This record gives sequence, C-alpha cells and structure tokens, in this order.
Amino acid sequence: MKPDAFPAVTPAPAAGQDGAERHLASLLLHVRPDRRAAVRAAIGALPGVELHIDQPGKMVVTVEGPHEGWIADRMTALHLLDGVFSAVMVFHHIERAADLTTADVKTADVTAADARRSGS
Amino acid sequence: MLDRRDFIKAQAVAAAAAAGGISLPAAAQSSMVAGEDTALKWSKAPCRFCGTGCGVMVATRDNRVVATHGDMQAEVNRGLNCVKGYFLSKIMYGQDRLTQPLLRMRDGQYHKEGEFQPVSWDRAFDEMARQWKRVLKEKGPDAVGMFGSGQWTIWEGYAASKLMRGGFRTNNLDPNARHCMASAAVAFIRTFGMDEPMGCYDDFEHADAFVLWGSNMAEMHPILWTRITDRRLGHPGCKVAVLSTFEHRSFELADIPMIFHPGTDLAILNFIANHIIQTGRVNREFVGKHCNFRLGQKDIGYGLRPENVLEVRAANAKDPTDSKPIDFDAFASFVSTYTADHTAELTGVPKERLLALAELYADPKVKVMSLWTMGFNQHVRGVWANHMVYNIHLLTGKISEPGNSPFSLTGQPSACGTAREVGTFAHRLPADMQVTNPTHRAHTEQAWKLPKDLLPGKIGYHAVLMDRMLHDGKLNAFWIMVNNNLQAAPNSGNETYPGYRNPDNFIVVSDAYPTVTASAADLILPAAMWVEKEGAYGNAERRTHFWHQLVTAPGEARSDLWQLMEFSKRFTTDEVWPAETLDANPSYRGKTLYEVLFRNGTVDRFPLSDLDPGYENAESRHFGFYVQKGLFEEYADFGRGHGHDLAPFDTYHQVRGLRWPVVDGKETRWRYREGHDPFVKSGEEVRFYGNPDGKANLFAFPYEPPAEAPDQDFDLWLVTGRVLEHWHSGSMTMRVPELYRAMPMALVFMHPDDAKARGLRRGSEVRVVSRRGEMRTRVETRGRNKPPRGVVFVPWFDSARLINKCTLDATDPISKQTDFKKCAVKIVAA
Repeated sequence: MKPDAFPAVTPAPAAGQDGAERHLASLLLHVRPDRRAAVRAAIGALPGVELHIDQPGKMVVTVEGPHEGWIADRMTALHLLDGVFSAVMVFHHIERAADLTTADVKTADVTAADARRSGS
Repeated sequence: MLDRRDFIKAQAVAAAAAAGGISLPAAAQSSMVAGEDTALKWSKAPCRFCGTGCGVMVATRDNRVVATHGDMQAEVNRGLNCVKGYFLSKIMYGQDRLTQPLLRMRDGQYHKEGEFQPVSWDRAFDEMARQWKRVLKEKGPDAVGMFGSGQWTIWEGYAASKLMRGGFRTNNLDPNARHCMASAAVAFIRTFGMDEPMGCYDDFEHADAFVLWGSNMAEMHPILWTRITDRRLGHPGCKVAVLSTFEHRSFELADIPMIFHPGTDLAILNFIANHIIQTGRVNREFVGKHCNFRLGQKDIGYGLRPENVLEVRAANAKDPTDSKPIDFDAFASFVSTYTADHTAELTGVPKERLLALAELYADPKVKVMSLWTMGFNQHVRGVWANHMVYNIHLLTGKISEPGNSPFSLTGQPSACGTAREVGTFAHRLPADMQVTNPTHRAHTEQAWKLPKDLLPGKIGYHAVLMDRMLHDGKLNAFWIMVNNNLQAAPNSGNETYPGYRNPDNFIVVSDAYPTVTASAADLILPAAMWVEKEGAYGNAERRTHFWHQLVTAPGEARSDLWQLMEFSKRFTTDEVWPAETLDANPSYRGKTLYEVLFRNGTVDRFPLSDLDPGYENAESRHFGFYVQKGLFEEYADFGRGHGHDLAPFDTYHQVRGLRWPVVDGKETRWRYREGHDPFVKSGEEVRFYGNPDGKANLFAFPYEPPAEAPDQDFDLWLVTGRVLEHWHSGSMTMRVPELYRAMPMALVFMHPDDAKARGLRRGSEVRVVSRRGEMRTRVETRGRNKPPRGVVFVPWFDSARLINKCTLDATDPISKQTDFKKCAVKIVAA
C-alpha cells in the first residue's frame, strides 16, 4: 500500500435548519479600554448585533438571527475583532419565529435567582 | 408589558451582565421572571470538548438534546460558554453518525481487503474474539494492544485497564493523551513524586502576572482566558507575558510579547533561573528546607527508531532518565552560561524583554502564574521544559499558594481524570502507581481480587511505538477507542497507516463517526457519546465531575464501557492466563474475564435500586448492577488515605465537581501547603509529600537543539496546532456546520515576505512538503496567526488535508510524547 493512499474523509454536516426559528444570544466581551470607540463602531456595523452595556473593559451584546450559524459566525467575528480580548456566550434562546411576538414570558434558560447568585 | 422578544433579550442581557460581574439597574433585574419550560428537562454535565472542564446545563426533550448553556453554578466558567461548548447539543446529531458495527467482508466472510458491511454485535465480537485468540495463541500478550483517550470517562478507562492488564496480561495500553501531556505528567512525578498541578483555577484571581509559555489561551482555552483578561484589566499592575514561535490572538493582551526561535524556550528558562540567582533573589529558606538539586542526563536522542542516525549518534539515548544529586552551587554554576546576551542571541528575543520576563519571576512581590500546554509538552525536550519551569518557581518559593502557580493546562476533558489518575498509560496503574514496581502490582492484584503475580511488569508500547510495532507486524490485534489516531499521529503516511493495513493485523476502531482512522480499520464499532451514557471526567485543576445519561444512543451504538465489558465475556481464564497461575489458583479456572474482572464482588456490589430514578442507565440495566458506581468505588479505594482521595460516588452527582484530595467532604485548592492541604501537618508549612523526603527536585538541563531544523532543501519550520473553531482532530466539531463553515479548511499561515519570495500570495494553492510526505492547501498571509519569516503554521483539524503526513515522529526520549511543533518543510506552488 502506498503511504499516501489512505483516504481523506470529509465529514457530513448535521441536520440542516428549516429557517422557521429565531435565535437570540447574549455575549460578554472583554475589550481593550483604549479601543472602546473602535469596538463600538465595529459592533454597530455587524447586522443583528446590538450593544446593551458598555463599561470600561466589558461589553454585553445580543445577537439575533435565523439559526445557530448566524450566531456562531458573529460570535467568532466578535471574538476576533481588533480590540476585543474575548467574546463568550452566556445565554442562548431558540424560539419558533411565530411565537416571538406573543406575551408569554415562560423561559427555559437561566433563572433570575441563578443570575443573581452568580453576579453577587 | 414587554413583548416576548424584548423579554428574552432583557433576560439574555441580565444573564451576561451577571456572569461578567457587571451590576445592572434594578429595573432590568426585576424584568426577569424565574420560569421553567415544562417540556424541557435541564441537567448538569461537563462540556466534553477540552480540558478546562466547564459546566454546562443540558436541555432534553423527547430523548434529544435540544439546548445547552453555560452553568451559572459551575465555578470553572460561571455561566460562560465558548464557541465549541455552544454547539454541544449538535455533536451527537451528525448525519453520518455510526449506528451499527461494520466489518470488512468479502463473500460473506471477514476479509482484510473487503468492503465495510453492517453486521450484528454478535458477529462483530465473534470475529474480533477469533482474531484476538489467534494472536494470543501465536504470539502471546505482547501482540495485542489498545489505544484509548483522554476522552474516556473515568470508569471506561478503568475498565480498559483491568481488561488489558488483568485480562489479557499486557501493558500495551496507551491513551492519545500521550500525544498531549505525557511530558507534563512525567515531570510532575519526577519533581514532586505525584502527578498534576498543586494549584487550581482560583490562582487566576490571585496572580499579579501571567506567563503563557507557548500556549494560545485566547483560542484554545477561551473561558480561562476571560478570567485572565478580567484580572489583567481589573488588577492594577497586572502583567501578561506571551511567548510563542509565532504571533497569535493571545498577543493582543501581552505586555511582554516574545517570539523565540523554535526549541529555544529551554534557554529562556535557564536564563530566568540564572537571573534569579545572579540578582540574589533565591528564596534560600524555601530552597534549603524543601528542595533537592540534581544534574540530569544530556544528549539523550530524539525518540526516533533506534537505527536512526540521530539515535546512534546520541551519547545517552539508552538511558535518558538518569540523573545524579548535586548541590545548589553546582546548579548555579550550570545555568550561569545562560546570560542575557547569550540567550538573546540564541532565541532571537531582545534582551530587554528577556529581563522584563525574568523580573516577573525574580521580584518577590509579584505573584506569578505560568501556563503551558502543547508548546512545552510536544517538545523533544518536553520533560526538561516542564522541569525547568518548576525550577524557577521553586528557586523563588513561588508555588503552592494562591497566585503563585506553575500550571500545566490540558487539552482533553479527562486527560487528568482518566488517562493520568486511572492510569491508562503503558507504564501506569491507578493513583500514580507504576507497572514496574512489584509492590504496586501486588497491591493492584489484591484490589482487583486477581491471583498473585498475574499482572505483567514490563512497560507496554507507548503511542508512537504502537504504530511502529503495527507497522513491523509485532503488534497484531489492536483496538482504538475514542480517538482519531490516523489523523493525530506523526509521520502517519509512513508509520501509522501501513500498520493499520498490514495484512497480519486486525484493527478495531470504536467511534461515533467515520473518522479517517475508522475508515482504515477492519472492524468499526459504533460508540455512544457524552450524555448518551453516565460519565465522569477529571479536569486540569484536579476537579472530578459527573453527569447522568440524558438520552439514549442512536441505533445500536453502545458505550465504550459496554463494549469493553461485553467483549470480556468472550474469553475464559484458561484461554488467556498461564497454566501455572491457574494451577496455583484453581478457583479461577473456567471463569470468563467478565466474571473475574467485573463480577468480583466489588464492582458488582451496588444494586440497580441505587440508580437515580430520574435517569436511564443503559449499561447498568444491561449487566444487572450499578456498573459505574461499582467501578468508581473500586477505583477510588486506590487513592483514598494518601493524597488522591475522591469523595463517595453519589456526592459527585450532587455537586459541580470537587478538586481532590477530598477529605472529610472538603476539596483541596492548593496542595503541599499547610492550612490548605490536609496532608501537610501543622508546623510543616510546605511538604512535597509525594516524595519520601518531602522535598521537590530541581534538575539542571542544558539547551539542546530540535531533531530537525530547516536547511537548504526544506527551508521552513513547520509548527502545527489548533484554531478556535475546531478541537482535536475535528471529528466532532467538523460535524457542526456552523463551525465547519467558519474555518472550512486548514490553511498554511505564513509571512507575506516568505510567500512573495516563493512567488506566492494569499490564496495561492500550494504543497507543504517534508522529507516524509506532503499536503495541499492554500496560503494565508493575513490571518490571525502571524508567523515570523522562516516559520509556517498549519492546523491539524482538517481530515481532508492531513498535515501529519509531513510531521516527524521524533518524541521526547523520556515521556515518549511527539514533538508536533518542530520539523522542516518547503512550500511550493501546487
């Protein structure tokens, strides 16, 4: 058998998305304090990304989009932004797009008690 | 009233703020309503991707994982999640998931050159047992072997160790963790007499300075990186030094950035030791009370095949581990040649930066944390590099206390918990015991209720040697579990693949997906993964953590534990143990290996009624007792009472992991220090109790060059590694389409001037060629990895472009870990 004969494998993707979902995630960013303005501007240029909290060294943004890929691409883009030390996911919510406008406030993710405990 | 989108968004922001320690206006908090979606069941589990050991919350619905998020209650990550952890819920659902055994067949029979065809488990194990028995009969126990992983759960690694050593009577058992942290483990034992770090992640919040020795934590350990970033930005005067052979993402935070010539980190370490000594900053009291000095062996070769000219030429290739006692003055004199000028010249690092780095260690007021992974460990002098970093922490007494911490990071989720603590290396038994030590073997035989003198005392084949022995036809029945060695092993085209396809050999691969390794096997066994089984991992900070089975595995996929135990039923003691042993111990006659290893009265002592009624447990239901609990408790007994203490089994299902030793229900954050470690007695202050004299060993070693360096024909250094979006060989992460799209192929990162000099530019198609093989890819000159001139970087995750056809199978001669960071290649237009 020739040394180079062994097969290459291209992995098959996981099951695809049907497009009927909305994904909403929040990310915590650690930011170079001297690049704050530049990072703000870069975030503003990313569709679907919204800046909520901007403190020296830290920002909280939400990312909203049609599927995980949208979120992941932006998460990677944010992590690699000039002036950003790291971007990590905290919260991710998946919802049928049709449900998003209803007033139902039940949720499955982090409870308020959890959040407060961790933040204290 | 908020609409649902606003509500979710507010909650998302509040959670991120809480996780980041940012206080929110009360109004924002009160908008969060604690609620439970009744259709989802949330359970805790550790992430299964890397050695950090983040806690995640896993939601299941209708027997399927539908969501995960960072666990707010997990101390490691406090609710944060990196991009890999984010996709945990998808890793089990790739379309090409293996769901039944596949055997190479021709005309209804097994045939080495046949096509893969689905068979039953019975048919699969029949053929496998037939092959094992043939090989055992023809050649004996030395010709069978198993290659496992740092992704085995604790009980899977333990069951594998029992089956191979106690059942088949061979130590030919090694984990792919050999490729990952063998150098770290060996140096721990040689320095402290005990494996694994003395400190823990709490050091991140106590240190004044962080030194990354080769590690790119921003991409490889993103969650721990946020803790360093927090400290750097929030603690005045905090400094970060980043050392590497090329510039990467972690340099963004570096106060002291350093690009050094490959392999010369050894000289930097000796320079720091010399600087500490020359400037009078040795902690004399600490060194006098707690340290020994030794002169190590030099010119020890490169772990290549013995006939290689580099091995023949090396003076001490046969006994690389030798050392002899010296005193402090001799050590000081040994490192005195590593002056700032000499070191700057050798390493290419400006003198001022070397001095700034050395001051972080020398200044008694600075608490310093050293961090490293593959840069030190995948190094032909990896054990030395590990020793040398302990040298500088020990000279200054900056060890075993909050913030002063030499910290060896790991890459796999249970490299520590399973590969090291359980002892699935070719030379190890549980709780740091060694196969070559007759007392340790006797103790193990007793614990396992096996006949005296049954366990083999000869060290088995290590990972690279396994490949060579398969190639040479001396290892013939081989089982690979939870790893992708054909992609991960060095020089794979010449040393790995031919062994798998050698007609004398029968190769079995257990995996969840059809990896390159599986495709080169003779029998593929479909494996259950992660939360499809009850599991336990141990992370880099000695944290043992558990999870429940949350969903059932697809089709006929079965856990490694099930596979190991079920396979053991196919052998009787008469078939595999020597006649003398059975003559002397007739009660073992005619029993199956399953009976003597797993129905021994210890492993099978916990009934099914001990199971948590809220969770399924496929293995326990199948075998009729609480398998995981029995294995864990038998294993945990090895370590209790002497510093490896684990808590009772049930405790771990309640907590977010505990760091051993766990004594009286309390975990230990800093070992060897009075007041923190219950094994250090009052008045002792510090005791390195792994060694009989209670002292740590400093070793004097020189700088020695790598095995291969660029020359006229192959004019560039090749460094391999990982990227953020992928982990290990990509067999899991490449199946998540979002991750695959983010970085679809392994590019060659090179300096624009190096590209230009070869008539290439960004995007050019090229061949990366070494003396051993080649791979095709494209050039990247603007990526986030920026090599200096003369160095190229290629990630190894891409199964369609295997860079390990190019790498050299040189290992550290002591740890047998491969150096994937230093060989010579040329880049030519394709």
